[in-house]
Formats: sequence, structure tokens, C-alpha cells
Amino acid sequence: MPRLPRADWYDLTRDMNWDFSYVTEEDVFPELLSNGFGVPKQDWWTWDEPYKITYAEYVHNQAGKDAGLFTVNNVVGRSKIFENLEPGWMAATLAHYGAIAVGEYQAGIGEARMARFGRAASWRNMATYGCLDETRHGQLQTYFPYQALNKEPRLDWAHKAYHTNEWGMIAARHLFDDMFTANDAVSMAIQLTFTFETGFTNLQFLGMAADAMKVGDIDFGALISSIQTDEARHAQQGEPTLKILVAAGKKDVAQNLFDRMFWRAWKVFALLTGLSMDYYTPLEHRTHSFKEFMEEFINTQFIDQFRDFGLEAPWYWDQLLNEMNWVHHAYHLGVYYWRPTVWWNPVAGTLPEERAWLEEKYPGWNDSFGKYWDVMGENVRAGHPELTLPETFPVVCNSCQIPLCTPAGYAAGYLSSPLPLLLDLDGRRYTFCSEPCKWVFEQAPGQFKGHLSIIDRFLGGVIQPPTIPGALAYMGLSPEECGQDGTNYAWAHASVPVAGGVGR
Amino acid sequence: MALFPVQGIVEGDFVVVLVPVDDTDPMTVVAEKIAYHGIGKRVAPQDRPLKVRWNGTVLADDSTIAGLGCAPMDVLEVLYA
Ligand SMILES: [Fe+2]
Ligand SMILES: [Fe+2]
Repeated sequence: MPRLPRADWYDLTRDMNWDFSYVTEEDVFPELLSNGFGVPKQDWWTWDEPYKITYAEYVHNQAGKDAGLFTVNNVVGRSKIFENLEPGWMAATLAHYGAIAVGEYQAGIGEARMARFGRAASWRNMATYGCLDETRHGQLQTYFPYQALNKEPRLDWAHKAYHTNEWGMIAARHLFDDMFTANDAVSMAIQLTFTFETGFTNLQFLGMAADAMKVGDIDFGALISSIQTDEARHAQQGEPTLKILVAAGKKDVAQNLFDRMFWRAWKVFALLTGLSMDYYTPLEHRTHSFKEFMEEFINTQFIDQFRDFGLEAPWYWDQLLNEMNWVHHAYHLGVYYWRPTVWWNPVAGTLPEERAWLEEKYPGWNDSFGKYWDVMGENVRAGHPELTLPETFPVVCNSCQIPLCTPAGYAAGYLSSPLPLLLDLDGRRYTFCSEPCKWVFEQAPGQFKGHLSIIDRFLGGVIQPPTIPGALAYMGLSPEECGQDGTNYAWAHASVPVAGGVGR
Repeated sequence: MALFPVQGIVEGDFVVVLVPVDDTDPMTVVAEKIAYHGIGKRVAPQDRPLKVRWNGTVLADDSTIAGLGCAPMDVLEVLYA
């Protein structure tokens, strides 16, 4: 540790901004990698992080975190804790590792871009730590599952998932490429660190760590909370960047960047966290519903913080509140029905007591969503579980890449039409799940129009043979890896149909 | 006779499905091909004939995709009459 108090030297060593004489400002910060949005250089130099840390302190802190974490991992590895985890929780953690681990590493690329192309030395300094953080998160979240491979071979999806064309991973890559790999440093500070991390993942990791501890998954809980402490620090790159944009009269720029990413983050959050909170987490360990979580933490606390900067809730606010009632229920049904296309074993989460909880948290759930489970349960009880398995694919949205569930919103009384939105552009047809998804696409068609969704690939002959087995092979799923019912249909045998005879 | 992909919605179902139909199929057959993926699987069957709606219009039973001039990946809704 340095002998001088940090405050005596920090600003001096941190603020190494200078005027260029051999090259132009544009050469150093090309717009594609660092869009300054016309904010004067000197304004960027006022960038000031709320959380200050030196390199020596950083290394000291991180070493301490890792020492604690690996102690837990070591002890847990020799216990029977993993074997005794409930199937729903296993589903949640397997999904998490695959969707997140390598994405963290990819976020390190984003942080590295800000560490080079951030427009102030203080910012580049913070981003350097951010890059080290994300590298750490990528490594930890591949190492921990690696440790348990002998207990669950599909934990290798922590590393494998990102390198496949599994549909959920196409969605994740589409999002993360837009957010960081194919983004510039300034937009990234708003979209990755402010919108996504401050708004969503920081809170999600806090919630997930707490749930893990309740469930008894000490290893995962320790891992997630350790990661969250890094996240809480580097997510703070967003706020100073936002302040500078607003002070320079670029409120509209900040609002647009925010609105685009907040919606995208919502969609993937509904898919991953929505299922995890309302269906996969064992009932006795649930503290709140996904909708309650959204209302309390994101829509209230986070948006209040956003309003403090003089910005507004996104234009699609009503549609967001609307989707919170139904969209993740539809996604869960879809993931369950198309379970061979995921690398975890989805649990239905529809035992009678679970349905009662869903009905309480989402009044009307039995009539709107329970009825699908009634038909499926009837088929299972009649000895036809194959009728709960797919013979074709859902069409996916060309923006969020998630199956189009507009019919569920309509059937549940939340949408006025079951129809998805279409856009014909340059001889190609694009389909969208919602007005905001279409809007996101139209904000930057050049960014998105060349991308082929899994369905575009299927129809374009990329997937051969064009059959379910052909598509599963394309997605990197061998028969042994394909998801199966996580509780061997216990839900169907335990449930009492609400309505009378259904099925075929 | 040509394979023709459409986006199918079964009334009451939760998702839009990809369904390959034939452009010379009459709508009664198109309806069955789409309904196959939803009715009896997630949506309880009813003892009523099925109809197809396209661009807000309920189609005649003997009309065809080719005859109507539908575009690939148009959305067809299957409803009980
Ligand atoms: Fe991270
Ligand atoms: Fe979408």
C-alpha cells in the first residue's frame, strides 16, 4: 500500500489527459469506437467516478475476494451439497452458467474498449479495472462449473454455449454484440454499465446470491455475490458519462441510447430471470415474484435514479408494464415445450401449490396460462408425453431473437391482437414481437438487418437437414445434452385439472 | 406444388409457429396443418370446423395460398368457425 494518503496523489496520477499534436483527435477516438456526440474534449475531462480505487488497492481487494471464494469452493466440492440441489435450482444455475459465463469474458472486451477509447483518463482507468473484473467473472464462472463436471456433464455449457448456435445463445450474442462488441465506448457506458449493469444485472446478482444461500447452494451464492461486488464498482462508469452528456445538452442522445438498451435488457431478463424466479426457484425459497421484483427494484428505484438526471421513463413504459404480467409466463411455456433445444432440464413449476402461488401473484394465471398446462398434463397422464414435445419451431423476433409470444398476450387479455409486427425491407421480411422491438431495429437498421435469426437460417437452407434433429445438431445439442422434463412429469401426475376433459 | 412457409397462430395458443404448407393446399388443409402444432397439445380441441384468417379476412375453404397471392411468412390465423 502506498505511504501517502490516496487523496494526496490520486487525482494527479489519474488525470493524464493531454492535447495531441502528432495526430488528430478523430484519429485517436474514431467515431465508430468512441462516439463523442459532439461534446467538447474539455468537458469529457471533467469525468469523475463516484468510487475511487488505486491499482494497489484493487489487487489487494481482489486477491482477498478470490481467497475467500476458493476456500468455499474447496469445501463445497468435497461435500454432497451439489447432489442435493433441487431440480428447479439446477435448471436455473445451468441456464445461468451457459448464458452468462463467456458473456462476461466478452464484456471484458467491452471494458477494454472503454479502457482505450473512453474519453477521459479517469474513465480509462476505471475501465481497466472493469476489464480485469470481467476477465475474472469469465474465468470464475467457467472454473466453478468445471469443478462439478463429474456430477453434471452439461455444466460444460458454461464454456460451450457461447460457441454454439443454440437459439438462446443467438439471442444472447445478438444482444451483447449490440451492447458492447459492436458498440462504441461512449454509447457502451450508457448501455452496458448504466442501463444493463446498474439497472438489471447488479440487482439480479444480488437477488440470485440471496436465493442461492436460501436454497443451500453456498458455492454459487458465494460466487455470485463476489462477482456482484466488482459489478457494483465498474457499473459506476455509466453515471459520470451520463452527467457529461446531459450537461452538454445531449439529453436526447442519452435518452435514446437508454431506451434502446432498456427494452433489449428487459426481454432477455424476462427470459432468464423471469423463469428462474417464478418457476425454477423452489417455492419455499421465493421471496417475491418476478413482477414484484421488477416493480420494486427496477421500475421504481432505478427509474427514480434515472429521473434524477433529468431523463424520462422510456416511451414504451405502458407496454413494459403490460408485458410484465404475461410475457415470461409465455417464455417459460415455450422453453418447457421446446425443452430439447436447451441444455438444462426445465421444470414445469406447476404443482398444485405452485399454481396457487402463481394465481396469487398473477391473478388470472390459471385461466390464462394454467389452461395450457391442463392440456399438457392431460396428455402426459393419458400416456402421451410426446404430445408435449415440438414438431416444428416457433418463429422468433428479428430484434430480440426470442419466440413470438404475442398470441399469449392476446389470449390472456393484455394485447388487442395476437399478430406479430412485420417489416419488409430491402427484399427481406422481418418479424417483431412488439412495437419496441421493431423500434429498436429501426433505430439502427444497418446494425441489425444483415443478421439471420434461427428461423431465417432454417428457411435459408443453412440448417441441414431442415428437421428437428437437424436443427438440434445445428444448435450443438446431442441427444444426451437435450433438455428433458426436470422432474419426470411429477407436476402432471400431481395436478388436478381445473377444467374437464381435454387432449386428443 | 411448392412448399411454402407461413407463420401460424392457433386461436387461444401462446406462440407463433413456423408451418410449411403447400401453396396449392385448400384452406381446410392449411388449417389442419397449422392446428396440428397447437390443438390437442396446448389448446383444448373443440368440435367445430376450422377457418383461416389472413390480413383480417376469413378465407374461403377452397381458396389456396397461390390463388390468394400470400407472401412467404405471412401470418395465418386458425380459428374455430
Ligand atoms: Fe461481470
Ligand atoms: Fe422482440
